[in-house]
Amino acid sequence: MPRLSTLYRMVRPSGVYGYIVGLSLVAGATLVCEVLRHFLLPINLLMIYLLTVVLVALNTGLKPAIAAVALAGFIYNYLYTPPRFVFDFFDKEYLVTFFGLFITGAVISSLVNKASERAEILRVREAETACLYHLSRELAVAADAASILRTVVDNVEESIQAQIALFLPNGEQLEMVAASRELTIDLQELDLPVWAFHHSLVAGHGTGLHETAKLVYFPLKTLSKNIGVMAINLAEDSDFSFDQMFRLLEAFAAQTAMALERVNLSHQAEQAKISLAQQKLERALLNSVSHDLRSPLATITGVLTSILEQGDNLTEQVRRELLENAREEAARLNRFVGNLLDISRLEARGAILKKEPCDVQDLIGCALAATERQMQGRTVGVNLVKDLPMVAMDMVLMNHVLINLLDNALKYSLPDGVVDISARCNDEKLILQVADTGPGVPVDELKRIFEKFYRIPVPESIKGTGLGLSICNGIVEAHGGKIWADNRPGGGFVVTLEMPLQAASQEKETPHG
Amino acid sequence: MANEKRNVSMPRVLVVDDEVAIQRFLRSVLIAEGFSLNVTDNGAEALSAAVLFKPDVILLDLGLPDMDGVEVINRLREWSTVPIIVLSVREQENDKVKALDAGADDYLTKPFGMAELMARVRVALRRSVQKPEPVFRSGDLEVDLASRKVILQGAEVQLTPTEYDLLRFLVTHAGKVITHNQILIQLWGVAYVDQPQVLRVNISNLRQKIEADASRPRYIITEPGVGYRLTAPG
Repeated sequence: MPRLSTLYRMVRPSGVYGYIVGLSLVAGATLVCEVLRHFLLPINLLMIYLLTVVLVALNTGLKPAIAAVALAGFIYNYLYTPPRFVFDFFDKEYLVTFFGLFITGAVISSLVNKASERAEILRVREAETACLYHLSRELAVAADAASILRTVVDNVEESIQAQIALFLPNGEQLEMVAASRELTIDLQELDLPVWAFHHSLVAGHGTGLHETAKLVYFPLKTLSKNIGVMAINLAEDSDFSFDQMFRLLEAFAAQTAMALERVNLSHQAEQAKISLAQQKLERALLNSVSHDLRSPLATITGVLTSILEQGDNLTEQVRRELLENAREEAARLNRFVGNLLDISRLEARGAILKKEPCDVQDLIGCALAATERQMQGRTVGVNLVKDLPMVAMDMVLMNHVLINLLDNALKYSLPDGVVDISARCNDEKLILQVADTGPGVPVDELKRIFEKFYRIPVPESIKGTGLGLSICNGIVEAHGGKIWADNRPGGGFVVTLEMPLQAASQEKETPHG
Repeated sequence: MANEKRNVSMPRVLVVDDEVAIQRFLRSVLIAEGFSLNVTDNGAEALSAAVLFKPDVILLDLGLPDMDGVEVINRLREWSTVPIIVLSVREQENDKVKALDAGADDYLTKPFGMAELMARVRVALRRSVQKPEPVFRSGDLEVDLASRKVILQGAEVQLTPTEYDLLRFLVTHAGKVITHNQILIQLWGVAYVDQPQVLRVNISNLRQKIEADASRPRYIITEPGVGYRLTAPG
C-alpha cells in the first residue's frame, strides 16, 4: 500500500540550511579567487562568483540566493576591484556587476523553484493517484457493504495515517458502522455527521463550517442522494497541506459512495428478482388454488344437488356411485389443503423439522395404510433390506412425502400396474425408491416435475395439483437429502430419495425456508 | 350395530365444537345411532355440562373460542375419568400429543368419516364401562395377561420381557392412541422421554414377531408424530 507521507517530503534544503550552503559556496569561491587572482583579470574572477551564484540558486531557495549575491558582490568589490581592500558602493562598475549577479541569481532561483514546485505537485499527484488506485482496486472486489467499509478504513489508516469513522443511515438515524480503533469522537460533535449528511457539505476542522470540531466530516454523495458520512481525524503533526489532504479525502469519499451504491443497487436488483419470482409463484398458486379447490367442489356440489333434487328418481346403484365420487373428491380436496399447509410450513421462516429416529419400515407402513383406499386392489411390493438403521427424520413430513409419491405412482399407472417400494442403505445414506409401471416422463421433464405447480402435459382425467413433488423436494432438501426421478429401463417411472444417515442425527433442528 | 345400541342403552355424548356445520353433522349422526346428545360451543359451558349432563364420552374440539382445549382436558381430569375424544385438524400433531398427554383418550382428525367416528366412540364407551378382560383377542392374536402368554395363530410367541411389557401396555389400552411419552414413562421411566429410539426398536421387534407383514401392520398401528394404537378387537 503506498504511503502518501513518504512521497510528500521536500528534497531541497531550505531555511537556515539554505543560507549556510549559499554562504559556504561564496566563501569557497573567494578562496579559489584568492589563489587565482595572480593569474586572472578581476573581470574573469567575476565569472567564478557568477558560477557560484548559479550553483546556490540551483540548490537553495530565492532568499539564500539573494544573500549569496549580496555577499559575493560585496566581496568582489572589496577584494578584486582596485583599489583592493576598499569597498566603493557607488562605483558604476560595481553596480553593473552587482545587478548582473542579482538578476542571474533571481532568475535562476525562481526558474528552479517553479520547476521543483511543478515536480513536487506531480509527485503529490502521483502519490494521490496511487492511493486512490489502490483503494478503488480493493473496492472493486469488495462484494458487500461490510467488506467495503473495512477496505476504506484500512486504506485511510495506511495511506494517510489518519483515523476514520464511517456513518450509514439506519432508518431515521445515522449509525457508526466502522471506525479506526483509536478514534474518539467528542460528544459535542456527535451532531456533525448528521449535519453534513443533511446539508450535503463537508464540515468540521479546517473547512470553515463548524470549525471547532476536531474531525472533518465528508458526506458520501451519489448522484441522487447522500448515503453516509466519512469522518476523518487528521494527524496533528501532519506535514502535508490541508488542501492536498482535502482533495484526496474527497476522492476517497466519492469512491466509497460509489462502491456502497453499487452494492446497494445489486442488492436491490436481487430483491426485485426474488419478488418477481414470488409474484409469479403467487399467481401460479392462485390459479392452482382456484382450479384445484373448485373442481372437487364442483363434483361434490353436483352430487349433493342431484341427490337432494332427484334422489327419488335415482337407482340405489347410481346414488351410491355418485356419493363414492363425492367422497373421493372430498378426500382429494383434503390432500390438496394438506399439501398447501406443508408448503407454507416449509416456507415459513424458522420452521423447524422435528427429527426423531425413525423406523423406515414403520414409515412405509404408515404411508401404505394412508393410501390403502386408493390402491383398489393393486399390487404394492415392499422390498426392504434387513436391519436398516433408524434414520433421524421428521416422521410426519416424511410420511407426507411417501404418501405423495405413492399417490402419484397410483395416479399415473394403469389399474393393473405394479408399484414397488424399496429401501436400502450404505454407510452414509438411506436410499428409498418408489417405482411404478406407468408411462414415465419425457427426459427433459424429469427435473421440472419437482418445480412448484409444474405438471407434465397429461390427459385431463388425471387429477393432481403439481404440488406433490415440489413438496417432496422441499421436505427432503430440508432434511439435507436429495430426490430425483428416472424412467425405468423396462418402462415405468421411479423416484429416488437419498437421506443422510449421519448429518441428520447431528443437527437436531434445521431451520429452513 | 343393533347389539351395540342395546349394550350401552342411550349413552350420553357431550359435543364441544364451535363450528355449527360440524355440530349439525355430529348431531344427526349420533342421534341416528341412538345417543343422547348435549352440544356446546365453548370451554366454560363444556366444563359445567360435564358436571350436569354426566356424559359417557366427550367429543372435544381443540380450537375453542374461550379457552385452550388442553386446558379443558386438564380441568376435567382433576375430577373425572370420562373418555375424551379430541377433534383436530391435520397440522396439529403437537396439539394432539399435548391433549393426549393431558389425559385425552383418543383423537379424530378432521375431516373424518362416520365409520371412524363411531369406531372411536365405541372403543371409548367400552373402555369406560368394561373392566379389562384377562385374555385379549384381536384377529389371530391372543394375549393372556394372567399367564403372560402371547399366542399367534395358535402358537405361542416368545417375547423379551420388555416386548411383553410393551404389548401388555398396548393391550390394556387397546383401541386407544398412546403417545410416545406415555409409553416411555410407563416402561422406561421419565429419563427416557428424550430417547424414543428405544421405543422404536422394541415396536419394530414386536412387529416382526406378531405381524404377518411388518410393513403392513394389522395390530400395532403407528399414528405418525403422535404415538401407537393397538387395533381393538371386533
